[in-house]
Amino acid sequence: MNQESLIPEQTILSSLTEILQDITADWDTDFNGPIGADTKLVDDLGFESIDIVQFIVAIEEHFQRRGLPWEDILMSDGRYVDEIKVGDAAALLYPHLNKL
Amino acid sequence: MHPTLLLGLDGATFTILDPLMENGTMPFLRGLVDRGVQAELMSTSNPLTPPAWISMITGRNPGNHGVFDFIWADQHKADPYFTLYNFRDIRCETIWSMVSRQNGRAGTLNYTMMSPPPVINGYVLPGLVAWKHMRRNIFPRELYEELKEQPFFNVKELAWDFELEKKAEQGIQKEEYRNWVSFHIRRERQWFDVMTFLMKNHPCDLTAILFDGADKIFHMGWRFLDPSSPVDEFDEWELEIRELCLDFFRALDGFLQGIVELAGPQARVFMASDHGFGPSWFVFRVNAWLHEHGYLTWKNLENLAENEREKAKKVVEKHFVLLDWDKTTAYARSVTSNGIFIRKAQNPGENGVPMEEYEAFRRKLTEELLAIREPISGKPIIKKIMTREEAYPGAHNDQAPDLTLVMADYGFISIMNKSPIIARRPEIVGTHYPEGIFLAHGPGIRQNERLDPLSIMDVTPILLYSLGLDIPSDLEGRLPEDIFTKDFIADHPPRVGEPTLVPDTLLPEEKKQQSEEDNGEQQIFEQMRALGYIE
Repeated sequence: MNQESLIPEQTILSSLTEILQDITADWDTDFNGPIGADTKLVDDLGFESIDIVQFIVAIEEHFQRRGLPWEDILMSDGRYVDEIKVGDAAALLYPHLNKL
Repeated sequence: MHPTLLLGLDGATFTILDPLMENGTMPFLRGLVDRGVQAELMSTSNPLTPPAWISMITGRNPGNHGVFDFIWADQHKADPYFTLYNFRDIRCETIWSMVSRQNGRAGTLNYTMMSPPPVINGYVLPGLVAWKHMRRNIFPRELYEELKEQPFFNVKELAWDFELEKKAEQGIQKEEYRNWVSFHIRRERQWFDVMTFLMKNHPCDLTAILFDGADKIFHMGWRFLDPSSPVDEFDEWELEIRELCLDFFRALDGFLQGIVELAGPQARVFMASDHGFGPSWFVFRVNAWLHEHGYLTWKNLENLAENEREKAKKVVEKHFVLLDWDKTTAYARSVTSNGIFIRKAQNPGENGVPMEEYEAFRRKLTEELLAIREPISGKPIIKKIMTREEAYPGAHNDQAPDLTLVMADYGFISIMNKSPIIARRPEIVGTHYPEGIFLAHGPGIRQNERLDPLSIMDVTPILLYSLGLDIPSDLEGRLPEDIFTKDFIADHPPRVGEPTLVPDTLLPEEKKQQSEEDNGEQQIFEQMRALGYIE
């Protein structure tokens, strides 16, 4: 993949932010701030494992990719990582979406 | 197209419905049976909600449609990643798509694995989706906003409540039964209200709904409804819960009546369940057995920090995921799969069973399992074991268990690290049996007839025929013509059409691969048909 066809990390972050805004649009959460790189999925948005499953499907649909190594991106010891931030997820996705 | 209804009743069984029809709890259903055709509907090899419903709406066995359980895993990796199956995992065309592309409209409510929702000519309200994700998983999306404006609509009651279901799986307390049954009556009413709203405002040629409350009631309340239960010995509380369970079926009967009457006398009505139900009295802790026989090693938790160890122990008690994968050659992934997976070494030097030893390994494991006896009765605890190829023949069976276990009481296995390995349940619970129900009623359908058992895969061709559409040549299900009158069949000869299409949800490389596989399969079908091996 040449440099021009790479998906920039910032674009991935924007996409994740948009997806999360759409997912949480009608949730009753205490989180008031805008969703961004520092937003924590579990602590801020109240994500449970079933929400992460939906988030993963939405990401795959958005980027038209399947079979991404989610066990490396979002999991540890068979469980979803509690402390993951949106920015971390974007950074972890970058090499996989760009097949680096 | 001829208006056609599919009323799905998850887990419905004549074992319970017959007495409920006899004692006046379900008078509408009684009338429908008298004025139509009934038969047992044989489920998939493992009679489980996701594979069975998908077989019903694709006309294919799980070995071809690719859905075997609620959860999916890439087992080839060192530390498998587990997630839920969803619509994109279905490798065959659904009946919603078959109807859409023949210029019909299809509406589907509460069917399993329908998210992310497919784009069809009609609408999709998926089942097994939490309320927080319903808005994004309804097709078309504006339909959610329309429903939200309706006074009856309560998405939190309509949607799947994962927390509540998890709690129920672990066993509900005596004082919670009342709320549990009442919740399911309210939830069925939600789906009924949505269905009738859509039938009036967005009519379709094929309208399909799945009422899933009966399955929940049977799991938790089997003994209150089992015709062999000694009702005259029930205490006050048991009688109250039994009455509540009967209320559930009275309400369901009313919902079925409301839908059928709204559809009108011209509509053809088909009712089907994904599997039957019956009693289960013992549990087999298969992973504990595999551990005892050297096939499975639990992960050593002693190296973890204390707080992590406590968390992990809880996971191990309920889950299988904390295994020492390097020292495990066979394990059960989930309670619901009733299957054992064999870890295969993909390359020389890798952990797992070398490919050249696989057949012998599988055979030995099967023999050892079949030799297990229930300690008190001395009878075998496993009725039958099927290999992957036997249980799920087809091009997409790679996610299926290597061995599928049919327990003596059809019960689900346990995957917990507990003893004893075989335990009597403290009280009898309901479990999935292979014999579901099938009913048909309407113009051109015979009356008051009981047929030999049908296959769950027959439902797709039956519905297509009712609609007046071609039946794709590659369906595994057949059209049982004796559902219909001879005159009707003579006037409307069934038509075999082009094969099904590769689902749109597959990515380009998956589509290419599947087209090649399907073409190969179709050629084999054609050759066999030409040789007279199949009709």
